[in-house]
Amino acid sequence: MSDVTAAGRAARGPGSGAGTARRTARWAAWAAAALVAIAVPFYLDGFWLQTGLFAMSAAVGAIGINLLTGSTGQLSMGHAFFLAVGAYAYVYFADPGQDGAHAIGGLGLPTPLAVVLAVLTAGVAGGLFSPIAGRLKGAYLGIATLALIFLGQHLLFNAEPVTGGYNGRAVPPLELFGLTFADTPELVLLNVPFGALERLWFLGLLLVLGAAAFARGVLRGRPGRAMNTIRDHEIAAGVMGVPVARYRAGVFVLSSMYAGLAGVMLALVFQRTVPEYFGMLLSLDYLAMIVIGGLGSVGGAILGAVFVSVLPQLLTRYSGTLPLIAEPGSGGVSPAEAARILYGAAVVAVVLFLPGGLLGLLGRLRGAPGGRRAVLGRGPALPFSPPPASPSTSPTPDTRS
Amino acid sequence: MLDVKDVTVRFAGLTALDGVSFTVRPGTVHAVIGPNGAGKSTCFNVLSGVYRATSGSVRFGDAELTALAPHRIAALGVARTFQNIALSRHLPVLDNLMLGRHRLTRAGFVSAGLRLPSARAEAALHRARAAEIAEFVGIGDRLGTPVGLLPYGVQKRVELARALCMEPRLLLLDEPVAGMTGGEREEIAELVVAVRESLGISVVLVEHDMGVVMRLADRVTVLDFGRRIADGTPEEVQADPAVIRAYLGTSANGEHA
Repeated sequence: MSDVTAAGRAARGPGSGAGTARRTARWAAWAAAALVAIAVPFYLDGFWLQTGLFAMSAAVGAIGINLLTGSTGQLSMGHAFFLAVGAYAYVYFADPGQDGAHAIGGLGLPTPLAVVLAVLTAGVAGGLFSPIAGRLKGAYLGIATLALIFLGQHLLFNAEPVTGGYNGRAVPPLELFGLTFADTPELVLLNVPFGALERLWFLGLLLVLGAAAFARGVLRGRPGRAMNTIRDHEIAAGVMGVPVARYRAGVFVLSSMYAGLAGVMLALVFQRTVPEYFGMLLSLDYLAMIVIGGLGSVGGAILGAVFVSVLPQLLTRYSGTLPLIAEPGSGGVSPAEAARILYGAAVVAVVLFLPGGLLGLLGRLRGAPGGRRAVLGRGPALPFSPPPASPSTSPTPDTRS
Repeated sequence: MLDVKDVTVRFAGLTALDGVSFTVRPGTVHAVIGPNGAGKSTCFNVLSGVYRATSGSVRFGDAELTALAPHRIAALGVARTFQNIALSRHLPVLDNLMLGRHRLTRAGFVSAGLRLPSARAEAALHRARAAEIAEFVGIGDRLGTPVGLLPYGVQKRVELARALCMEPRLLLLDEPVAGMTGGEREEIAELVVAVRESLGISVVLVEHDMGVVMRLADRVTVLDFGRRIADGTPEEVQADPAVIRAYLGTSANGEHA
């Protein structure tokens, strides 16, 4: 992913006919994708829009955890916690709150400001955890971050004045430049009624693009190289001048901010915050996304996010016509369970057969330079491998590969 | 320039280094040799901050290295290579070299993420210098190749180039010719000579290949079971009875260690 450097390009033959053709094809593909993305709200109904928006929120969150887990080799089980922080912080900052029997707090700030503050709050929450995130590595951090899930669930259910407790809170719609991201006031564009989902669609696209561009910049730049080396050879990273603990902590904060933004997007789409949603399963979903999509790359995170968030929706929608899947509540395998089983199987299949994830598979099918990279395997980034023994007992830095 | 004094390293009852001292003068090549398990790599790991010495001191200029973390030692201009190659296999050579520029560059998460002009200009400047160093080490035509696809000997060169990219004042080479063929050994040896002569970098060398050591080193420290058993010019060390004994009583010029 990050290796389209000047030299890389030069090595592949500058200005050759094949290169130009490929570049043209690439532009055409991007233009087509952009057209489709823009056209979607004019043709598809609310169900698909909501599914797509869930996928966009998941994509932002997955890009974040992929920076941490895929690129830096730090496992996190606490991603759902930071999504919750983002979602609830937005509601708290944006909602004026109410007095009375069910008194509930809120600051009633302008909603765009609330979005920014919510992302910053998630970053601060990540920063509070960073003394731990900087010192623990790989799977050990995964275990430590499990605690965040339980802390989060406890707070969400019990800190009622802020979180609304079991019932959650209604999410105030975003207002940006005079446009309200809600169904009212009505808005009709080209004979299509533009409700909350249609309006959010474009905002979601912009946020995903921005999040992806930023992450790519980080990965291709100086921080990305340091992160990859921490993952591949922690000792080498330190010796080359990378302050390993500080980078681990920094990436953890960045990943938390991505989760916070994903949480805000989720809240805006769902229009209500639901505490039990932000549990362990959500964290596992995010890990499944980046493993399925491809560890360590932005494209992989997006692909995996789309796969994992669209699959259950598809199964729900077509549960009537699919064999073995029962309608929700009728006692058989529910669509949600079926989806989990399916992408559980997908994770196993990827780990066994597709070290580069879906992105690697795409690259291989295209026969593009990405294919070679996929064969080489960006894959061994899985932080679940047994960590090397402590330096004092292993005389040489390990060379896993 | 580098003054190692009475350094002792103990791991839970095992004494890996026992009161080792030696001095590396500026602009010289200093070899640390010894049989397997003599403590050479431990010595390197203390110098680069990977291990902490139980006692003793390592002074580099005005700084006391034993108290510093690896990245702070790197910031002082100490670079090292690894006996077992420690590169990012799937990244191209150029990206691996650019890691060597880490200490000399500034771009952080925000400026890299937003691709600010300052970050881009910095990256371009340092890419050019990294390419120059790659040329010097003889891997200039491999910049775009992922390291994992390169033959072993070339990967060893990438290690060396990455260390040089740090623009070090002191270069620690951990068995730079291990596992190489005769011709490759010659080339690397010439490269080390060139590093010292054209860049003026002091070199500390851990090596098993006695031929290379005797040719390159201005001074040799011999370790055995964590103790210094000899220290002197290559000729002095070769004639030292303790050294001959340590190398299993083989002939003094011990072709194979």
